[in-house]
Amino acid sequence: MARKLSRRALALHVATHLVDGKPQKKIAQQLAAYLIWTRRTKELSLIVRDIQFYLAEHGHIAGTVSSAHELSAATLKEIAAFAKAKTGAKYVSLDTAIDESLIGGIKLEVPGYELDSTIARQLTTLKTRYKKA
Amino acid sequence: MSELSISELSKELRGAIESLETKGNLDEVGIVLRVGDGVAWIHGLRSAGYSEVIEIETEDGITEAFALNLLEDEIGAVLLGEDSTVKAGQTVRLKGSVLSVPVGPELLGRVVNPLGQPLDGGPAIKTKQQGLVERNAPGVMDRKSVHEPLMTGIVAIDAMFPIGRGQRELIIGDRQTGKTAIAIDTMINQAKQDTGVINVYVAIGQKSSKVARLVERLKQEGVMEQTIIVATSPSDPASLLYLAPYAATAMGEYFRDNSKHALMIYDDLTKHAVAYRQMSLLLRRPPGREAYPGDVFYLHSRLLERSAKLSDALGAGSLTALPIIETQAGDISAYIPTNVISITDGQIFLETDLFYQGIRPAISAGLSVSRVGGAAQTGAVKSVSSHLKLGLSQFRELASFTQFGSDLDDATKKQIERGQRLTELLKQHQYQPMAIWQQVVSIASVTNGYFDGVAVAKIKDAQSATLSKIWKDHKKDMETLETGAKPTEEILKTIETVAKAAAKGFEA
Repeated sequence: MARKLSRRALALHVATHLVDGKPQKKIAQQLAAYLIWTRRTKELSLIVRDIQFYLAEHGHIAGTVSSAHELSAATLKEIAAFAKAKTGAKYVSLDTAIDESLIGGIKLEVPGYELDSTIARQLTTLKTRYKKA
Repeated sequence: MSELSISELSKELRGAIESLETKGNLDEVGIVLRVGDGVAWIHGLRSAGYSEVIEIETEDGITEAFALNLLEDEIGAVLLGEDSTVKAGQTVRLKGSVLSVPVGPELLGRVVNPLGQPLDGGPAIKTKQQGLVERNAPGVMDRKSVHEPLMTGIVAIDAMFPIGRGQRELIIGDRQTGKTAIAIDTMINQAKQDTGVINVYVAIGQKSSKVARLVERLKQEGVMEQTIIVATSPSDPASLLYLAPYAATAMGEYFRDNSKHALMIYDDLTKHAVAYRQMSLLLRRPPGREAYPGDVFYLHSRLLERSAKLSDALGAGSLTALPIIETQAGDISAYIPTNVISITDGQIFLETDLFYQGIRPAISAGLSVSRVGGAAQTGAVKSVSSHLKLGLSQFRELASFTQFGSDLDDATKKQIERGQRLTELLKQHQYQPMAIWQQVVSIASVTNGYFDGVAVAKIKDAQSATLSKIWKDHKKDMETLETGAKPTEEILKTIETVAKAAAKGFEA
C-alpha cells in the first residue's frame, strides 16, 4: 500500500513539476494512478484547488470572473490587470461566467482569494447585520 | 414620531451601505467540505489562526464559526449558530478577528447570550467597547494579595470560610443541595449591603425556566440593576455553552479593569466540561480520562485565572469567582471536581445528608476550606468566629455518639450541646442574607454560652429576639460593628446583656 500523502504535499509535488516544465499529461497520469490506488479520487477537486494555489504562488493564476451581465473586453482587461497587481503573478488567465443571481457588480475568484463586489453579496451582508441587531 | 423613525432608519441605512462598500481587496476564501453536529470542516483559509472567527455565506445570511482545529489539509470550525443552513460548497471567509463581545455598563440589568445579544426582549445593546472572549490572565506583578472581604451574607460562610475580593471559591455538591442558592444569596447580599460589587451570573446549559425564575427573583430583590446574566439553555449548540463563561468573564473584566469589583458565578462548570468534551470528540481530538480531551484542565485554569485582585497601579479592581461543580453521589475525587478544586482557592462542600436533615445551607465544616479568605475577613466577624470551624467539626464527629449520652463525661456533653445550638444558629433561610452586625451578635451569643440555657428548637427565636432588641436599643453600636471594626469591650458587654435577657424567654 502506498504511503498516504496529504493533499497539500500532493498538490505541491504536481505544481512544482508543472512549473519545472515537466509534461502535463505524464504528471496527470501519475496523479490519477496514485489517487485510484489510494482510493482518493473523491478528493480530486480539492487537489486541483490546491494545485491552483501553488501555481499561483509561482506566478501562474487561473481565475474566474462572474457577473450578472456580459463584460466588455476593456473591463476584462482591467480586471486582469487588477488581479496581476494584487497577486504579483506573471501570468493571469481569466474565465468568464454569467450569473444573474449576482444582480450587479463582479466577482473575481483566484486560487484561495476572492473579490466579491456584487450586489448579491452586499445584500447578504446587510441582511445579516440587521438580523443580528 | 413616525417621521423621526423613518429619517433615523434612512440615515442608518446610508451609513450601513457606505461601510459595506468594497475596498477593492482580495479576501482569503475557502469552502465548506462537510458539516454536521455543529462542526464545519473547511478547505482553504491557510492563514486562519486558532480561535479566529470565520464567516460562512449561507442562503440565510452569514453564519459565524470559530476555528479550533488547524490541520494540514482542513480546518475544523465550530459553528456559533444553527448548522441547518450551512451546506458543503459554501464560501467561507476570515473575519480577521478573534471572538469578542460587547462589554460595559450598558449590559447591567440585561440577560444576554454568550455573543452579547439580548435574550430579554429588550432593545439592542449598544456598548462603546468590545472585550476579547479569550484573554490572558493578569501577571504576577499586576496582582495584589486578596485582602478585602466579599460578604456572602451567609453566616456559616462569612464566619468559617470567608471569601475575599479576587478569590476563586468553588461551590461543590450533589444535585439539589443548594449550590445555586448560595450563589444567589451572595448576589442579593451585594445589593442589600450596598457593596457596589457587580454580579455576573453565567447559566451554562441551565433550563430557561430556571433562568427566568432567577431573573424574576433578582428583580424582586432589587439586584438586577447591578447584575448581568449570560444565559445558555440545554438546547443551545455546545459551542455557545463552551463560550458562555469566557464571554461573561470578558464582561466582568471590564469592571475589574475600571477599578470596580465584580463577582462571577459560573453555574456550572461540570456542564461546561461536558460541552467541551462534546466539541472535542466531534473535532476528533483524542479522548482521555472519562472521554475528556487532554486540555480539559487548561479549559478551566485559564478561565479562573482571570479572576484576580489587581494592584493599585492598575486601579485595584477585582474579579471574584464562584464556580459551581455538581458531583455524583458526593464523589469529589472525580476528574472535573479534583481539577477545579486544585485550581480554586478553596471550596464550599455541600452535603446531601445535611440538606435532608434540614441543615441548610448544608455546608460540610470538615471538607470546606477557604485558603486565602482569612486575610480578607472583617475584624468584627473574625473576633467572634476564631474557633467556630474547629468546634463545629468536632461536634459533628461527636454527634454520632449522642445516642450513648449517659456514658459521656460532662465536658463532651457540653460540647455536643453547644454544637447543637451552633448548628441551629447557622441554619439560614434562602434570600435572607445577614449583615455583619447580625452575624457578630448571633455568633457571639452562642459561642460565649449566652444561649446555653435556650432549647435547641428555640435558638432561631432567641436569635431574632436578640437582634431586634439590640438594633432597637443600641443602633449606634451596631452601626459601628457594620463597618467591620473589631467590637470593643463595651459592645461585647452590650451583646452579653441583651442576649442573656432575650434567652430568658426561650429557656428549655
